[in-house]
Amino acid sequence: MSTGGEKPDEFERHTQEVLHQSLTRVDSRVRSRLNQARQAALEELSVRPRSFWRAPALMPATGAVAAVAVIAVLLSVQYGRDRTLPILEGSSQAALEDLEMLSDKEGLDLIEGWDGSFYEWAAAQGETGEGGASG
Amino acid sequence: MPAASPGDVDLPDSRSKPDGRALNQFLASVELKAFKIAQLALRHEEDALDVVQDAMLQLARAYGARPAEEWKPLFYRILENRIRDVQRRRQVRGRVMAWLPFRRGDDEDDLPDPVEQAPSPGPTPGRRLELDEAMQALDKAVQALPNRQRQAFLLRCLEGLDVAQTAAAMGCSEGSVKTHYFRALQALRAELGDFWS
Repeated sequence: MSTGGEKPDEFERHTQEVLHQSLTRVDSRVRSRLNQARQAALEELSVRPRSFWRAPALMPATGAVAAVAVIAVLLSVQYGRDRTLPILEGSSQAALEDLEMLSDKEGLDLIEGWDGSFYEWAAAQGETGEGGASG
Repeated sequence: MPAASPGDVDLPDSRSKPDGRALNQFLASVELKAFKIAQLALRHEEDALDVVQDAMLQLARAYGARPAEEWKPLFYRILENRIRDVQRRRQVRGRVMAWLPFRRGDDEDDLPDPVEQAPSPGPTPGRRLELDEAMQALDKAVQALPNRQRQAFLLRCLEGLDVAQTAAAMGCSEGSVKTHYFRALQALRAELGDFWS
């Protein structure tokens, strides 16, 4: 009797033969199932590991991060444009005066108590340069 | 020890990078033997097919990129683990079912269809009958072996693994393999002596 590398005796040879014969008798249904299992395993081999960001479970999170990034880029570009608006950058004195008028509470009071004749007079004074401390 | 057997295919050069074709050849060379081993251990055709499929998938997933010469012991190690998992599940299920008297006897539903179990046509009727009897006797005797003895016997005698490969597949020492194999042969000889002589 062999237990290691010795030659098999008659009993082992016969046992081996019967076992191998039994393999040839496996029916076609089982063979077909085994073939399908093998093909499934081969498909498994051909599937390359997906990158972290392409994992299906992370798709929503990945999309959200991408959307936030796009919005952040757009906002930063827009902010850069706003910083160069003419009204802030320009040296026009008129523009600054207009801004002061709009922010001046007294100006709003004057508008509320509209006095047309006064403004017409004030405008005329301005055009002729006759206004001043005396008026 | 054993010579070439049905389904044996020459493995590709181990120095080449393992690919789908090499794995296909390897799996084709072991699938019938793996099925036979699983069937003898589990005594259930569908369960045997399931564990062989699981072992194939696991090998491809986890070890497909490993050198081809490592596949065989790894594959049989995975197969043995799957077989043990099924056996444990059955034990647990058996304990649970023991508490449910109305389930007793229903296991007949799980028996394989005798028509499906019928062997394919092959050799001459006389030789076939002789082989049928020998196979049935051997199957019965192998199934009666303790797990480790059966593993050692089938991996050595059916698959043709050497002692070192069998030890790797079984996760034990080479000395243990020799012991299990020797005891398996003793038990089979005692059981089948009349048939084989």
